[in-house]
Amino acid sequence: MAYPPKRGVPPPDKLKELAEQYLKELEKGPWPSHVTELRKTGYPLHVYGAGLVVGKSPWAPSAVRTRYLTGTMARIARPWLGLPGEEIHLRVFHTPGRFLKTDWFRKLLDAIREYAIGLLEVVGQTGNMIINITKKEYAEVVADKLRELGTDVGGSADAIRALAACVGPALCEFACYDTLKLWCDLHLDPRVHENIRAPNFHYKFKPKLSGCPFDCARANRGDLGLLGTWKGAPEVDQELLREKVKRGEVDPRELERGCVSGAISWDPVRQELRINEKRCVKCMECIRLAHPAIKPGREKRIAVLLGGNNKGYYGVKLGWFVGYLPPDVSAKRVVDMMEKIWEVWDKYGMPKQRIADVIIYLGIQRFVKEAELDKFLIEMPAFYEKMPDDVPYRILPPEERQVYAEYAKKVKQELGI
Amino acid sequence: MSAPPAGRGAIELVFPAHKGLEYWLPDVIRRNYGKWKERRFHGYGIIEHISETGERVFTIKVSGTPNARFSADTLLKFCDIADKYGIGALRITTAANVEFITDSLDKALKIKEEVEKLGFLVGGWRNTLWGINACTAFLTCQIGVTDAVSLAKAIGDQLKPYFTGEIPLPAKLRVFVSGCPNACAGGTAMDISIIGVWGAAPIIREDILPVCIPPPKALARIPESKVFMVQVCPVGALRVKRVGEKFTLELIEARCINCVRCKDNCDAFDYEPEEVGWGIIVGGRLSNTGSGPRVGRMLIPWLPSNPPRYPEVVAVVKKIVEVWRQNARPGERIGDLIDRISWARFTELLGLPRLPADYMYMPEHARTFMAYRWRGEWVWRRVRDAI
Repeated sequence: MAYPPKRGVPPPDKLKELAEQYLKELEKGPWPSHVTELRKTGYPLHVYGAGLVVGKSPWAPSAVRTRYLTGTMARIARPWLGLPGEEIHLRVFHTPGRFLKTDWFRKLLDAIREYAIGLLEVVGQTGNMIINITKKEYAEVVADKLRELGTDVGGSADAIRALAACVGPALCEFACYDTLKLWCDLHLDPRVHENIRAPNFHYKFKPKLSGCPFDCARANRGDLGLLGTWKGAPEVDQELLREKVKRGEVDPRELERGCVSGAISWDPVRQELRINEKRCVKCMECIRLAHPAIKPGREKRIAVLLGGNNKGYYGVKLGWFVGYLPPDVSAKRVVDMMEKIWEVWDKYGMPKQRIADVIIYLGIQRFVKEAELDKFLIEMPAFYEKMPDDVPYRILPPEERQVYAEYAKKVKQELGI
Repeated sequence: MSAPPAGRGAIELVFPAHKGLEYWLPDVIRRNYGKWKERRFHGYGIIEHISETGERVFTIKVSGTPNARFSADTLLKFCDIADKYGIGALRITTAANVEFITDSLDKALKIKEEVEKLGFLVGGWRNTLWGINACTAFLTCQIGVTDAVSLAKAIGDQLKPYFTGEIPLPAKLRVFVSGCPNACAGGTAMDISIIGVWGAAPIIREDILPVCIPPPKALARIPESKVFMVQVCPVGALRVKRVGEKFTLELIEARCINCVRCKDNCDAFDYEPEEVGWGIIVGGRLSNTGSGPRVGRMLIPWLPSNPPRYPEVVAVVKKIVEVWRQNARPGERIGDLIDRISWARFTELLGLPRLPADYMYMPEHARTFMAYRWRGEWVWRRVRDAI
């Protein structure tokens, strides 16, 4: 249990008063304030404020008893604060593309107002919604209500966390494959269901589906990222491009300059744009500037990125690119591949190690070989290795800290903040 | 590895996918699914999508509150606006902004007006601040050491003109604020990622420790390497120590890199608020634009944490944004600017005394066995060549 800070905790009345001052301060200013929103709900704000005053998190772990193995969480205020408080929340699966039709959403909000404190975190970092409830006994009641509405509680612990997908073809021109359809199909696979329902891995597993190299669903840092891309150069509609150039909407020289790999050249005589398909790295810059005259190429495919994470044993990593899947790949085939990956992870991993950690000590080549990924992937690259980075966090000696504190002071004076 | 068969009383989960994709999509989206062919921007925060069928859809981006916390009251008001002026649907983005969808520019402007009346901001897309993500920190988390939510609010107040487009930026900017090195706000692969750092090695509270380690009899029999708390430490800084009949954990401070994996798994690890600060990591990105996806680099390892307004951190963040705004070419994100002008020049522009030379402090274990953190910018250039 975290102890109270050495500098002491004010008595409850004083603490409450100070907390209120801090909270009021956070309601000022043009940016939308979380405190203003929380005030309209039954959230125990005095505990949060007290946390700010003492400089330590006011919450201690607690638990809820339900039939659910994942997705329910509870906290209790640290006893030394002297302020009672409880916080129980459920992780609720989000809708495909996170579209919320108002008729459905109103039903959800009504349920939240009835059984919960009237607060919704519209999206958490796992991709789920988070609902705070008032009493531990209501966990099952709220869950039943949610099941009636067509969603459910889950997505925590050492299981598959919520699958994340970008909006894809539903509201985007760039999607190179149908992210939402694959997202739905993956959920319907019984093996995925089992591993979301019950924690069964060393640590969490996060699949992320992005439709194009802009990577809105952050596939680069998912344990398994499926990133839409294409083969060769982007498709250029020369007629439309000429028109756009004539209208002054597109500057061909800017396209040339913007191309990071120097693949683009503009022929001013024939008024034609050429893209060297060997040099194109799919950075999307020309597509962003001249869409729809330049579009993702015709021959689509899905790049598979393996082993990105934030919270692993060896720290932050982005995924290794290991090969492609065809754009119309079936969910069954993707889950078959996942199973192979889980097998190797299970065999070599230690508790609380992500897939990337196993990759680091096995080596990516050996991991790919043991997981037999060549049975699933096409056009696998010859080179997967990456270069190491330095450690971003460490213990700092006080004099080192002083240097940066003084820098902040100087900047503060300079900008008058 | 497949999950064990569901036992009695095991629950069958109901996924939204069970109702089918069609059920969840608003009509206009369903009709034009996969048929979008063009997009146009109308000022900042309003985007128009044109379909092959000729239908048009306008999306209005509204900034979420820090940590995306909304009261049901506010969301019901959003529903009213969406019913009155929109197509009766909202959309939540990965980055915790709320999008309204409608079918004409007039209605879009009307929605903008209504939402601004409720105290929210419309902005984002193109060369602006796209939003600020914050982890839950002191709102629910027992691991976080600083409150990311209030810092996100304080930074948002300062960076508001960049969100609404009053002051245009060279390219996209996104800010992540996390309360501890777990970086739950989205990690470190972003333009500016602010992380709560412990600043000192954890203090072990002996009275709680027995909850996290096996009982003494078992500990006497099993090898140290099989003890869970020893396994979770990536640098081998935690050791089992025998004191008479009792067993305890010993922390080798020189090895500790403050990665908080021990705190993730055991509540006996504690800290003092005076030691805690904020680290600022810059230059990361996840999209493939410019020089490609990569994890950011530590720019400042520690800044004082003074709630509720955190003036020091806010000032430094604003300075970074201003230096970038004044020196970058159009379309250059922070990472691209640093690539072009070098880290040395970038720190000079910031007036920063030095960059943390972390490799010098890297624990021996991590240095000889494996590099601890990975950036991957070298890599990604090569990987992208392959894609």
